[in-house]
Amino acid sequence: MNKKIFFTLLFLFVPIVTLGQELRPAQLTVKDIHGRNIRLSDYRGKVVLVNFWATWCPPCRKEIPDLIRLQREYRSRGLQVIGVTYPPQKLAEVRRFVRRAKVNYPVGLGTKEMKLLFTQSESLPMTIVISRNGTIQDIIEGILLPEEIEQRIKPLLN
Amino acid sequence: MKSKSIVVVLAVFLAIAFTSISALAITKTATIRVDGMKCSKCTGSVEKALKATPGVEKVEMSLDRKEAVIEYDDAKVTEAKLREVINGTGFKAVEEKSGSQ
Repeated sequence: MNKKIFFTLLFLFVPIVTLGQELRPAQLTVKDIHGRNIRLSDYRGKVVLVNFWATWCPPCRKEIPDLIRLQREYRSRGLQVIGVTYPPQKLAEVRRFVRRAKVNYPVGLGTKEMKLLFTQSESLPMTIVISRNGTIQDIIEGILLPEEIEQRIKPLLN
Repeated sequence: MKSKSIVVVLAVFLAIAFTSISALAITKTATIRVDGMKCSKCTGSVEKALKATPGVEKVEMSLDRKEAVIEYDDAKVTEAKLREVINGTGFKAVEEKSGSQ
């Protein structure tokens, strides 16, 4: 009897663990710079780029125009960019930067715990690619290179 | 007999030509000072962009010295291009304190 329960539990549990290792469902709720909630679950069905960045990080600032362009050009094909500042920054600083750079996607203030939901890496910038079914598809460390946009993001939008 | 000699001469010529072309591709080292490199979190972008550049063989970043030491094949990439790549990551490749070997 015990054996039967053990194997039943094993049968039920193993696929969940395996799934958890390979395709973690991405969970994120963050307040945006205007105080509204950004929930990753609201973007199910879209390819989401969660971009961790900081106003004082030169490569982060450099790639923001590319993210703005991607958001503008690929919105209709299901792309959604979400910016998350990390490490924690002053709201006023982030607001000023977002306004000046004319960022066309939601930006929230992140925390270490929030970043740990995706990765332990401390690189900045860092872009988490979330597939249409809400799982983590890819983690791109450092500035987005044109070939990475072509090979690791655009194919998901076809 | 004559055609055999021609083939031998041609083979020797091609071997010399191939060796000369290979010898032209020399690995150079450029030490480029990078302005603005303050945080260890973001220097990885410079290394990443340089390593993705065709012709770059090795990259060593020093946050302390604020410089990038790059070994590259000068037949495939120039130092000017390496500076352009660094500038493309949001940092600034400083002109005056650089050098090639």
